[in-house]
Amino acid sequence: MTMASVTATPTRNGAALRGAVSNRSRWLRHGLLQQLAALRWGIVALIIVGWFVYYPIVDNLFVSTTTQDIFTGEVDYVGLDNYRRLLDDPVVWRALTNNGLYAVLSVIFQVFAAFVLAAIIEGLRSRAWRNFWRAVYFIPSAISTTVTGLLFYFIYQPDIGLLDALLHLLGLQNLSYTWLGDERTAIYAIIAMSQWQGFGYSTLLFTIAIQKIPRELYDAATVDGAGPLRQLFCITFPLTREMTGMMIIVTIAGAFQVFNEVMVMTGGGPNNSSQVLGTWLYEQGFNQNDMGYAAAIGVVIFLATLTTGLLQLWYTKRRRVEA
Amino acid sequence: MQRSIHSTAAMIAAVSVISMSWGAFPATASAAGDAPVADPAAKVDYSGKLTILTKFGLQLLSPYFVNVAKAYEAQHPGVKIELIQENDDSIKGKTKTLVASNSLPDIYFSWTGTWGENFIRGNRAVDLSKVIGPETEWGKTLSPAAVKAFSYNGKYFGVPLYLDAKFMGYNKKMFADLGIEPPKDFDALLKACDALKGSGVVPIAIGNKESWPLVHYLGQLLAYNVPTETLERDFNPKTATFNHPGYIAALGQYRSLQERCAGGAQVNGLSYQTALQSMSDRKAAMYYQEIIEFDQAATKETALKPEEFGFFKLPAPSDAKGSVTALEGAPEGYMVNAKAKNVPLAIDFLKFLTSQENGRTLSAPPYGQPSAVIGGADKTRINPNVAEGMEEIAKASYLMPWLDTVNHPRVAAAWLSGLQAFAGGSMSAEDLLASVRKAAAAAARQ
Amino acid sequence: MSAVVIPAGAPLRNPWLVIGKGVLMALLVAAGILVVYPLVWMALGGFKSNSQIFSDPFALPDRWSFDNYVAAWNQGVRNFLFSSLLVTVVSTITTVFISAWTAYGLTRTQMFGKPVIVGFVLGGMMLSPTVALVPLVQMMQSLGLYNTHWALIILYTAFRVPFTTFLIRAYMLDLPRDLDEAAMIDGASEGQIFRKIMLPLCRSIIVSCIILHILFAWNEYIFAMIFTNQIDVQTLPVGLTSLMAKHGTNFAEVFAAMTISALPIVVIFFFTQRYFIRGLTEGIGK
Repeated sequence: MTMASVTATPTRNGAALRGAVSNRSRWLRHGLLQQLAALRWGIVALIIVGWFVYYPIVDNLFVSTTTQDIFTGEVDYVGLDNYRRLLDDPVVWRALTNNGLYAVLSVIFQVFAAFVLAAIIEGLRSRAWRNFWRAVYFIPSAISTTVTGLLFYFIYQPDIGLLDALLHLLGLQNLSYTWLGDERTAIYAIIAMSQWQGFGYSTLLFTIAIQKIPRELYDAATVDGAGPLRQLFCITFPLTREMTGMMIIVTIAGAFQVFNEVMVMTGGGPNNSSQVLGTWLYEQGFNQNDMGYAAAIGVVIFLATLTTGLLQLWYTKRRRVEA
Repeated sequence: MQRSIHSTAAMIAAVSVISMSWGAFPATASAAGDAPVADPAAKVDYSGKLTILTKFGLQLLSPYFVNVAKAYEAQHPGVKIELIQENDDSIKGKTKTLVASNSLPDIYFSWTGTWGENFIRGNRAVDLSKVIGPETEWGKTLSPAAVKAFSYNGKYFGVPLYLDAKFMGYNKKMFADLGIEPPKDFDALLKACDALKGSGVVPIAIGNKESWPLVHYLGQLLAYNVPTETLERDFNPKTATFNHPGYIAALGQYRSLQERCAGGAQVNGLSYQTALQSMSDRKAAMYYQEIIEFDQAATKETALKPEEFGFFKLPAPSDAKGSVTALEGAPEGYMVNAKAKNVPLAIDFLKFLTSQENGRTLSAPPYGQPSAVIGGADKTRINPNVAEGMEEIAKASYLMPWLDTVNHPRVAAAWLSGLQAFAGGSMSAEDLLASVRKAAAAAARQ
Repeated sequence: MSAVVIPAGAPLRNPWLVIGKGVLMALLVAAGILVVYPLVWMALGGFKSNSQIFSDPFALPDRWSFDNYVAAWNQGVRNFLFSSLLVTVVSTITTVFISAWTAYGLTRTQMFGKPVIVGFVLGGMMLSPTVALVPLVQMMQSLGLYNTHWALIILYTAFRVPFTTFLIRAYMLDLPRDLDEAAMIDGASEGQIFRKIMLPLCRSIIVSCIILHILFAWNEYIFAMIFTNQIDVQTLPVGLTSLMAKHGTNFAEVFAAMTISALPIVVIFFFTQRYFIRGLTEGIGK
């Protein structure tokens, strides 16, 4: 069906041919000029990515060793002061905790729950229904977090929002609550919205992984008398392990970059209880006029995403080696 | 250690393919020196583009600047005006982004206090003393107190557009039905709340999702409980102590207000606008609002009719140690960017903006913003409540500035988040003050 | 293809299996309602009056009038939609073209230092936009790009080229080399091979990349919030939040505006689902 599956044999022939061709071309045009000319294929990406992605991030390291007054433009070098302040700042720790909570809960819902849901969907007999459910669950992922954030802001409104109305309808008005207005619940309310929005995406990815499992394995298992749960644990789960590992890493990386939903729904409040690193960076840099400190928070985010990124790299490499 | 980290960073930068000349570092915003001084005799060149950052982004208000700009463009065909209209919440972040990126418009909104001072400290505002000072022709057309509110070190930097102050709006019919008089002191207010609650309405709608609305309650209560000199000393991080007992008293008063008049801790979950809506929908009897919102709370379309709307000053407690004639409020206005290409044109536009005619339009519905122009309110056109409120403002012995714009940003942040915590019940009054003190100490060191 | 994972395809004689299947179906339906209902509520909200939204949240609108939609459209949604379209279309073209170009260079040409370039470009995937925010503010200003569509187009391109290149490169690596090597022997230049052979061969991954990029650009918020400030430059996500703040209590209009901004992307997804899923299968799903 896919190009990828057809490639297996031709590549081997291709490899031999490639060897021959590249030997030949090395003879024909091994000039430095030729190689420089070939650089044109890489230069565009190098420039745009270097200039707008790498350079600001390196520059951010410098900014984090200064205090800057945006009004006067004064820049003072303060060495590691911003980092010392970081260690002392209770909100930074709260933000880290919130990002951590985000990661843990997202892994539970967007990896494990999504996996189960995907297994259920792929168990359906009708292809049309499989497509239908996959598409339905995916819809929120296609919508901007700003829209979903605003929508849930209305849903969570005390007394007048959809959630409280539902609780009243069910006679559970005692559970009615100021979801976004209480320090204890605000971050959970936001995380819940994110799960609502994000689980369809991972469900979709898992259904793809499950589809790649050879059907014969299930047929054989059925002949051997293995029940559906057994098949789930002995075939589906192990054979989608790669995808699961990848999803866990990607989800954690995403959890440390959360910004939009918090910004839209609470702006980090009340009393900074729902602050995450991204929104605290914004608050410090753009509301409290402290670009240097904001940059130091940026470095923390950088380290978190770099770690998960390297983890991902290591995981892919290891997988390749195993395969 | 410091050095080694720095040189590592330098190496990373050096090997990165990108040249440093693309200059985000170091920030070269504005050089030290004196602010440019506006020259009253300068000839105006009526051509080019004028950019303006306003705080009139609210749907109801936004046509004001659009219309004034159109009228000005019609008079001066060579001029093109571009507006960036923000609102109360978005203007803070937006202004700072514009400053940080050196793209502050030619004319920009400013509050008084530390907010405005920042622009002056950074030499980003034109010294308007010679055109708007109290002795000048233009200056004389504006409320003297309002002009003075924008003076720093004896120089005048801002053009006040309107006066603002905080009052308790109330539903006259609900009060009359229960036989309640507008309360004369704080206890009477609490008693009125008890009666209203008994009748099944929310006495005061409080929405503090944005975290600045409570700052306004507290500001007025602080003005009542803490002597003015003490307050002003505490606005400056270098001299601040925040140890007057009036602070604790004011917080205690707010606590009882929230418990007896509002929905308790859930205030943090409601937005300011939603709270306003519940008064307009007749679900709440009172709503603490700015005079500039009188014309929004009750309109022909809302359930609450304009004739049912009344207001009173938040009543002072009987044992107040501060000034009972003080009023929470401040003029708000505009500054001219020191880097504006055509300063005389910007000033000319601001003069046009503060003409008597434009002042009268501003004071009248649907805008209802009490103009700072003397005689800028036509009694026959404006909402009588607005007229009455303007008289109250004129009577006030002291205008207590907003705590979130008069203080250093770090102190302001401590008030904002601390009051949310206080309202939510997770922080005591003492802890809140301790965190404000800590922020002031950190700000003083900066 | 009769996919059978759970429950087993065996005849459902076992009553537990029947019950189990019922429970699973109920779970699917419940999750479906949970997902769809809030969205339906949002779209219906655009037809309601302001007070009805909150006083009677489960009711259908009293009358089906598009007034709120029209009002939202005129209150700036039109401008936001245009900006979103422009930024999305242009940045999609630049991103996908640059990525395909680079991927070709990295898989098929004599370019030297390939491993370094691969590491550099793909490494960009690990870098988060938030971290670059502070320096970018001043950089965009010094380039005179602040508050222009170009700021967003450039940033969306720069931050998405690594990922898009990663997808296309992975696809090209798996493509048989017979065709392009035959062409090379026939004397075709690299540029010709890229245009005439590789691009058509990569059609399906390119379509997927286009869709993925549209999803990203249409919904991006941080950059748009910080680098634009005027109604005719702002994109939908930022425009919406300012609409929400500026329209104070006219929630019906905000609901209408939210629906307008969500609709195009949902429609696009439904029509291109097949490509989208194929792209994910071949790119990430490996």
